[in-house]
Amino acid sequence: MFEWSDEQLMVRDAVRQFIDKEIRPNLEELEHGDTPPYDTLRKLFATFGMDAAARDRFANQIAFEKQVADAVAAGDQPPDRPKRDGDGGASSLTIIPIIELCRVCPGMVTAMGVSVGLTSAAIMSKGTIAQKERWVPELLTLEKVGAWAITEPDSGSDAFGSMKASARRDGDEYLLNGSKTFITNGPYADTIVFICKLDEGNPPAERTILSFVLERGTAGLEQSKPLRKMGMHSSPTGELFLTDVRVGRDRLIGETEDVVSGGREGAKTTFQQERSGVAAMALGIIQECLELSVAYAKDRVQFGQPIGRFQLIQDKLARMEVARLNVENLVFRTVEMSAAGRPMTLAEASAMKLYSARAATEVALEAVQLFGGNGYMSEFRVEQLARDAKVLQIYAGTDEIQITHIAKDLLRR
Amino acid sequence: MNVVVCVKQIPDPADPGALEEDHTLKRDGKLILDESDSYGVEMALQLADAAGGGDVTLVSMAPNNETSGLRTALAMGAAKAVLVSDDALSGAGALDTAKVLAAAIKRVEGADLILAATESSDGYTGTVPEQIAAVLDLPSVTFAKHVEVADGTVKVQRQTESGFDECEAPLPALVSVTAGVVEPRYPSFKGIMAAKSKPVDQVTVADLGLDPSAVGWAGAGQEIVDVSPAPERQAGEVIEDEGDAHQKIVEFLDGLKVL
Repeated sequence: MFEWSDEQLMVRDAVRQFIDKEIRPNLEELEHGDTPPYDTLRKLFATFGMDAAARDRFANQIAFEKQVADAVAAGDQPPDRPKRDGDGGASSLTIIPIIELCRVCPGMVTAMGVSVGLTSAAIMSKGTIAQKERWVPELLTLEKVGAWAITEPDSGSDAFGSMKASARRDGDEYLLNGSKTFITNGPYADTIVFICKLDEGNPPAERTILSFVLERGTAGLEQSKPLRKMGMHSSPTGELFLTDVRVGRDRLIGETEDVVSGGREGAKTTFQQERSGVAAMALGIIQECLELSVAYAKDRVQFGQPIGRFQLIQDKLARMEVARLNVENLVFRTVEMSAAGRPMTLAEASAMKLYSARAATEVALEAVQLFGGNGYMSEFRVEQLARDAKVLQIYAGTDEIQITHIAKDLLRR
Repeated sequence: MNVVVCVKQIPDPADPGALEEDHTLKRDGKLILDESDSYGVEMALQLADAAGGGDVTLVSMAPNNETSGLRTALAMGAAKAVLVSDDALSGAGALDTAKVLAAAIKRVEGADLILAATESSDGYTGTVPEQIAAVLDLPSVTFAKHVEVADGTVKVQRQTESGFDECEAPLPALVSVTAGVVEPRYPSFKGIMAAKSKPVDQVTVADLGLDPSAVGWAGAGQEIVDVSPAPERQAGEVIEDEGDAHQKIVEFLDGLKVL
């Protein structure tokens, strides 16, 4: 695959039209006003049938899981999972909107990805069938806003080691306590996956990791106002404070503390999905910055000629094009692997995230440089994209963590 | 209810390309659905829905069996298309086009209503819809800003400079719709993926029972002798205010007969 197919280009053009009509004219309000991104995202989902498609996929998945559960309960051989020969390129229907949104408003992708992707995936991967039916459909369609709460004031990259958030048994119930920060969608979330340690009086390092599903309005749960931050202004980020939040076992993901393959491993699976999405985000930012830069290099006249004639400007454009080609190839590879039903290793997903995030930040900052004083002004758009790009190197695992994961995965083979 | 929509596939207005030696627009690249036709497609889909069912069929004429623009309308929800593509049509004028489209419409069984845009975005003659109606001997209502169908009758609000006329015609009929008639939908992703497998009946002039030597340049009865750029807009008149600017502005507007 070296280019999008005709159908994929139609998808791209349709999404572009939607963005030009619904998002670009409202960008100022989304970035700097009090308008959360969710209504626009819901409209995007409904317009293109992404909500109906998600409901169908969920129904098929649950129907199969029920067949398996019924067979197991009856003592029969459970049916084999339908053979996956790949998705036929369907991943592009998620990736293309991500790219196109990131050309204009990457924060919206952050808000969407955490709700539709991370939060629902956390419940889908380890939850019971009843839990999935209870919370996941409305997350997949964005009817409910989801948040995935792992980071704490004192635990970032060392998410599990330094984690203080706790669950204590209290009869048949649990009491949850702790503070979470930098939580995407935190201020507006309806459904929150809260990750914490089971406190049995044992040393923190030995405690089991548990995940609970909380809902807005639960007694003892406080959701902060949006935090001010460098970029991704259209993605509300906040803090969560839990004080003796009492929950039943029905809210413990999996409804069991025996999380042999859950806990840390479950969270790490989520990391992997998250990382491959960042490359698509990076591509959108790079494409937009490059197009804006080429146009500016042709139009902007200094010393009597367009600045594109100066070799130092040409060097910047050439480096941006190299980055665009490389990241686009990585994204195409993701689509191809998904079409072939081939999973990505942790090293591959991490390498892709590391390279793409660095490339996006470098391209966006060079675009600001190419635009000079204009680039530092919001009006010329590269300023916003440069601020937005930086977080790609920080969230979903910092560059430094990606490097660690790549090396560990290579060395354990 | 079955609705036929006449749609034109045109060069992308954002990248219109160049002219051929005979001064016609180059149409050898990818063509897109004329935006002015997307309103007719949407209106047709809504009318078929409101009637509780029926097919929306597209009819188009384009060189090189081009279907890109048709696929967009099929992705919006149209069921099928008839595409007339024939080298003999090169240089076709408005009347030729109307005759060809009328013949193509006849291939669609049970058409209750035919919709078209008021004019295309590349040709702008604005005459083809009424010519089709004349060829097919159908009643025609132009410039529809609102369309309803009930009891074998189409009811139209026809846009005028001062408001609108209320018109009715028995079905089958032809109605040309304005850009204000409905808001076109975006094609859903599912619709886009389904569009490539929807049937497109590709036919030639001869397949339609028409004489290839009587259409195109041969049948046009016209020749484009020259094409020149539109004159640039003249600079406006600057009125220096020496105490009487308001009078001069009033006189200027009075001269335009807008007061």
